[in-house]
Amino acid sequence: MRLFWEITRRSFRRFMTYRAAALAGLVTNVFFGLLRVSVLLALYDGRPEVAGYTVPGIITYTALTQAVIAYLSLFGWFDLMQSVYTGEIAADLLKPMRLFTFWLAQDTGRAAVNILLRGVTIMIIYGLLFDLTYPQTAVQTLAVILTIILSWLLSFTWRFLINLPAFWTPNARGIVRLGYVLAWFFSGFLMPLRFLPDWVQRVAYLTPFPHMLNSVVDVYVGVLSGTELLRVLLIQAAWVLALALMGQLVLKTAVRRLVILGG
Amino acid sequence: MIQVHNLHKHFKVTRHHQGRLAGVRNLLTREYRLVKAVDNVSFTIQTGELVGYLGPNGAGKSTTIKMLTGLLVPTGGDLVVNGRIPHQSRQQYVANIGVVFGQRTTLWWDLPVIESLELLQHVYRVPADRFRQNLSEFTDLLDLKPFLHTPVRSLSLGQRMRADLCAALLHDPALLFLDEPTIGLDVVAKERIRQFIQHVNRERGTTIILTTHDLQDVEKLCERVMIIDHGRLLFDGQLNDLRERFDGRRELLVDMAEAYEDVSVEGAQVVARDGWQVTYQFSRSSVTASELISRISQRYRIRDLAVREPDIEATIRRIYEERLLET
Ligand SMILES: Nc1ncnc2c1ncn2[C@@H]1O[C@H](COP(=O)(O)OP(=O)(O)O)[C@@H](O)[C@H]1O
Ligand SMILES: [Mg+2]
Repeated sequence: MRLFWEITRRSFRRFMTYRAAALAGLVTNVFFGLLRVSVLLALYDGRPEVAGYTVPGIITYTALTQAVIAYLSLFGWFDLMQSVYTGEIAADLLKPMRLFTFWLAQDTGRAAVNILLRGVTIMIIYGLLFDLTYPQTAVQTLAVILTIILSWLLSFTWRFLINLPAFWTPNARGIVRLGYVLAWFFSGFLMPLRFLPDWVQRVAYLTPFPHMLNSVVDVYVGVLSGTELLRVLLIQAAWVLALALMGQLVLKTAVRRLVILGG
Repeated sequence: MIQVHNLHKHFKVTRHHQGRLAGVRNLLTREYRLVKAVDNVSFTIQTGELVGYLGPNGAGKSTTIKMLTGLLVPTGGDLVVNGRIPHQSRQQYVANIGVVFGQRTTLWWDLPVIESLELLQHVYRVPADRFRQNLSEFTDLLDLKPFLHTPVRSLSLGQRMRADLCAALLHDPALLFLDEPTIGLDVVAKERIRQFIQHVNRERGTTIILTTHDLQDVEKLCERVMIIDHGRLLFDGQLNDLRERFDGRRELLVDMAEAYEDVSVEGAQVVARDGWQVTYQFSRSSVTASELISRISQRYRIRDLAVREPDIEATIRRIYEERLLET
């Protein structure tokens, strides 16, 4: 536990030093968010509500999804893959620590920096520009916090898993990219899943991706409540566990392969 | 402390087709070549030894170290270190060893040195007072102070190596593996690192295996030396023995101040003459360099001279040529 904290702390500090990059990212996120807002509003064509999303709802959706891009590393995370390719992984294997935990601790620091520098900031900027919806009750606020944490854990376990093919092939970048494209589409990043045909939604919900993003928005704007809300949180947690377990298993095979074939 | 018995490591390397349609043929047929990186190696190392593992590039040194540290699983043979099989129960095993690979660092690239070292305290669960004691000792010995707060990525190679040595020893490992710790360093940096290694072995009783292709590392540090080439152990014994039996001949290059008909001298042979420059060969056992120089300078006027030590390649070539180990 102490080790986890020490790693997280250092990672936090390290990402804090990339403030200039964070600022540039922030500006980009805000700008593209505005672009998305205008496209989505054109879709509304004067109607007050589409598929359960009011106009403030859809603006909130855009703000939220833009705010968590960096936090969830929605545009790609190749660090683990990179450490396999550079051979740095060997140095980590020579230390008495679990690789999965080590990377999780680092990602905790990374995520914390990004939710602060980019997440909260973006929400504030949008809050100043538009009428947004906000969580109404203490329970809902708590649920929002929970679902945001779970979505990050889900994104981490997913990113960890799809970086592992690096142990098998020197060209794993393509596989990882494909993984991210899938995530964009099925997570509801391009547009709310409710806007899509029924069957697409059904396919999406067979994957963990809606719980990375779409569920967060659902919880935040308050279209879910009561047992529905609880159910979503539980499913998120279940996916986190499943992917974490799978990551551990694949990692084990990967390391076994590495020590037999040589790095 | 270390028992290695008939150790093998073979790598399958894809052989690529050459010439016309090579790409297509590579897709259709895969040919493999077997590289015997470590080929039937056996040795035992006792607690407290400082052993030099010597061999030219590609000899199999790193592969051996990787097996000893659990990073590679042997293709065959037995390997017991510290009572454990390294590649099994990795986490428990690596908690009691220290490793430095000259080619890469164990430190975190973006972090200041001190941050990495403090993180290692937690990785290895070193008690705080023990950590502070070790850190201050190593900081003095390795002169780390000037760059403790510099990020690892901005260190020079020599500084990085010193920081890495410190990092490998903070948890008081009983066993230290050093893979080419002096590679790429200048003479002064090499010397400092050698002194440190010697200190750790003598004062702390740490068992050390040191790989190198620099004969001087071994000469300055080790009593026992193992020589490996093409994966095979060619020699395992006292450095003195090696010297007496196989040492390549040393060469003395002399620039004469005038032309001489006869440049011969007792105890050395003339192996080359190029204008006024003469190359003598002599063996350590028959005459010292200074003795030889004084003999020559008594007879001839000398302008300049240089002693050339036999390199490891020459020594190994002699071991092969003279088949001295085939017994
Ligand atoms: N992972 C690997 N795959 C294929 N061949 C390898 C691998 N690692 C090492 N080798 C080969 O094994 C031989 C020994 O390499 P190495 O142990 O690194 O030598 P040294 O450290 O003595 O320079 C070399 O021929 C090298 O090319
Ligand atoms: Mg090597």
